[in-house]
Amino acid sequence: MLIFAISDKGGTGRSVTSGNIVYRRSLQGNDVCYVDFDFGSPTVGAIFSISEAERGTRRGGTHRYLQGEVAEPHRIDIWAESDREGLRVKPPGAGQLVLYPGDEGGGEFPTLTEELLRQCVRLFSRLDEEFDLVMVDLSAGRSFAAHLALAATARLPGVHSRWLVFHRWTRQHIIAAAGLVNGERGLLDVGAEHGHDPAELADRVRFVRTAVLEQDSAELAGLRPTQLAWLNDCDRELRELSARHKVGRTRMLGKVPLDPVLQWREQLISDEDVLASQIANAGTVAAFDDLAKKVVDDNAWEGL
Amino acid sequence: MVGEVQTGLLQNSGEIPDSLSTELLALVRGERVRVFRRPIAYAVSPDRLTGVDCHLASASGARVRGVGTVLSRASVTGGRLVQGSSQVRVTRGTSNRRLAWSHYMARPGVVEVVGKARAADLAGGFTLDAPPAESLDLGAVSARFVDVVQSSARLDRRAPFRMARTRFRWTAEPGEPDVRLQLRGDNVRTLRLTLPDPFAPGVAELCEDLALHDWLLTALIEIVRRARPGSVARPEAAARLAPAIDHILHLWMPAARVQDSLLHVWESLEHRPGFTRQWQSLVNRVRDHVTVALLTVAGGDGRSGD
Amino acid sequence: MTPVNATFGEVAAERRIASSPLSHVSIELGHLYMEDFEAGPDRLRQQFRRAEPWASTARRSWQERVPGGRARVSTCFLIDDYFSRFSTPAELIPVIVETAADSGLTIDYLARESACARAGGVEPAKLVEDRLVADPPVGTNGSRPPARETGWLCNGTRSPVAGVVQAMGVAQKWRPPAQNAKRGHSVFVDVELWNDDDGERTWSCPFLAAVWQLLRLGMLRDDGRPPVVPQPRGTTFPDDWADLPPIIRLVPSAAPFAAYTTLSVLSSRFMPVELAVRTILSQVAVDAEVLGQVVSRSEDEGVPLEDELVDRLSYVFT
Repeated sequence: MLIFAISDKGGTGRSVTSGNIVYRRSLQGNDVCYVDFDFGSPTVGAIFSISEAERGTRRGGTHRYLQGEVAEPHRIDIWAESDREGLRVKPPGAGQLVLYPGDEGGGEFPTLTEELLRQCVRLFSRLDEEFDLVMVDLSAGRSFAAHLALAATARLPGVHSRWLVFHRWTRQHIIAAAGLVNGERGLLDVGAEHGHDPAELADRVRFVRTAVLEQDSAELAGLRPTQLAWLNDCDRELRELSARHKVGRTRMLGKVPLDPVLQWREQLISDEDVLASQIANAGTVAAFDDLAKKVVDDNAWEGL
Repeated sequence: MVGEVQTGLLQNSGEIPDSLSTELLALVRGERVRVFRRPIAYAVSPDRLTGVDCHLASASGARVRGVGTVLSRASVTGGRLVQGSSQVRVTRGTSNRRLAWSHYMARPGVVEVVGKARAADLAGGFTLDAPPAESLDLGAVSARFVDVVQSSARLDRRAPFRMARTRFRWTAEPGEPDVRLQLRGDNVRTLRLTLPDPFAPGVAELCEDLALHDWLLTALIEIVRRARPGSVARPEAAARLAPAIDHILHLWMPAARVQDSLLHVWESLEHRPGFTRQWQSLVNRVRDHVTVALLTVAGGDGRSGD
Repeated sequence: MTPVNATFGEVAAERRIASSPLSHVSIELGHLYMEDFEAGPDRLRQQFRRAEPWASTARRSWQERVPGGRARVSTCFLIDDYFSRFSTPAELIPVIVETAADSGLTIDYLARESACARAGGVEPAKLVEDRLVADPPVGTNGSRPPARETGWLCNGTRSPVAGVVQAMGVAQKWRPPAQNAKRGHSVFVDVELWNDDDGERTWSCPFLAAVWQLLRLGMLRDDGRPPVVPQPRGTTFPDDWADLPPIIRLVPSAAPFAAYTTLSVLSSRFMPVELAVRTILSQVAVDAEVLGQVVSRSEDEGVPLEDELVDRLSYVFT
């Protein structure tokens, strides 16, 4: 199954959240991989603590693969090559966890050519053969990467694909996320152009709210009642707004609470970070675990 | 002779019939897809050529240029496994410069060395862990033949389990019979053969057969590992083992089409590492586990009283 | 107990390649296109008059070359009915045969150009398309699919086009095209093989001419059988080209249509086309078994052939 991670704007925590989803999924026993299609900023190596690929790889990553310069993009086995000791021990029962980084110095592509598209189709098809879950991290907004992904999946009708749209729980982000999917030149529009059925495609899109401040969370404990009431009002307004824009609860796959660790250190959160060093919140890991289960759970993706 | 075979699971929910294999493998119009039904269904595409002009990896690091054509084919075994296989016969060229392309087209499957090279140096280079990126890449050629089959719209892409392809790189040199098989990272295997007649047409078929069985063994080991029998509840593990029983256990058919003169290679590999021994032990483990799980369920019904 | 050797075979697993009868040389006496037809009967007369000395020279030299002097020589003539259709077989064929006879020439076989595209249920051009193996530029190591401009074939590396450049990447400057097997300087040839305009495949003249050469060399097979077999002529010729067999044998006692070698006597305006034909033929993978059959038969006859297919072709441009 292919999962495309996309966000309306930068700074939603798309890469770090989707990275944590694949990490959790592999702990749950699946063979998974993470493919960096954030062409303008291929820095995903940092999330997995691969210093060799912090700013992309030099050994032929996704950029050079798509341009036909290498036969296969460079692959990194996280369980073997991560610099974080905690990640270098594959727990029993865990599946493969593989990273396909972008190229160091790689940039956005200006136009979609037939050659690029063919290379992309071949890559998706091969990865789907090997992995239970293939997470493809796309650039923010209406990007070349999103366009490429839509065109490639249209040529792979037999391969299951799903889209996760990451957005923060703010007025601007909700409107932007809705526009990215339903708006002019949005996912459904461009998808239809490439032969996707818009209704079917819409069924394969879910939203993930990030950096969410829960009413009952510890962070809000010190607030005055008036402040809490005001926050409550805001939240209600946002819920109404999101429902109007078809970004409401029914289309939401999950939410990730605001966690300082995610803000300051964009990395995988291990159980150790919660239990031993206690730098991360248990709720965050639980949210990732939940997302990792739901992302492959057909019930969470039933047509609306 | 050098070659590389890629083996993978056909992306379809069930076994495909011979008629569909024939359709998937019709890569050249006017050329027949050959279909064998005994002792196991096997269909093979007509041969195709790919032109190359590049460096050949050498163990010593010497820069050797080769020009010629790669001979490739795709095959489907048991309606379940797909292979892409490429080979070239490396010979000393007649000239120290590149000739007109028609010269190479008259020698299908031959790559001529422009300049000098030693056979053992090239065989060593080809079976390196990571040959230089710009050197002859038979694996990529074979992979495209697998892709052509896998991308057919006639397959439903709902394979019963996910499994990586294996890459089986082989070389055959003239000399006293010797067999050296090595498992490497990233599902790469290398086989160095020394044979009295390394150019016999059956050598590539032998390597395809070995690659197929190596994939089966690799896949079964992986399925058992994922199922974690002994660590998770029996019915759960049994359910995870079931695809092995349904889809791959019956495909084990060593040396199905291997020439008599090359059977000794299979036999020596049966001796060490003992392919069939390991396979049989795994098969027994899978069957025993599933049987016990069934018995437990049958017995459990009575005890639990529901 | 003595071990018993068992033999087992499966018909569907076998590959059978029929051999076709072969002459020593196939001489093409000319092509007839609409423009030649429209130029009037003198054009045809002139064409045959110019061809005759070369045809008889070729016949003589083969008689000298073949042990015993029994050279098998067949002649053929090609009429275009693919790019444009003119006149009718009933009207035109008797005129062509008579005009040739006036110059002392006999046409053994007459072929329709469209036979190279489609002959009955077989499409010879498609058989050739699937057997093309692109001439690889230096550095081609198999890691990427052969760079191919659909419908084109060249003998080297094309000039780079302003292609995909990543954002803030480096743009490419113009570079000249290069021939792969160049000696010092390049003669770069890029041939259009077909176009699919209006959703319909139209083969180019050089591509069909390459198919024509392969048919004359007896090198093509469809499921092991020659794709086009000459048919005997009837008592009359039909009124529609479509009703005429792809290749007809006009002389019942003629030597076989296909041959070890070919000679084409053509107007020099066909020179660029034939350069293109040679570019294509150098990139066609002929079945190794067919090649082997032809080589062993020619050796048995004491007439060794050139290794490379293109070296078995010769021309006279008049």
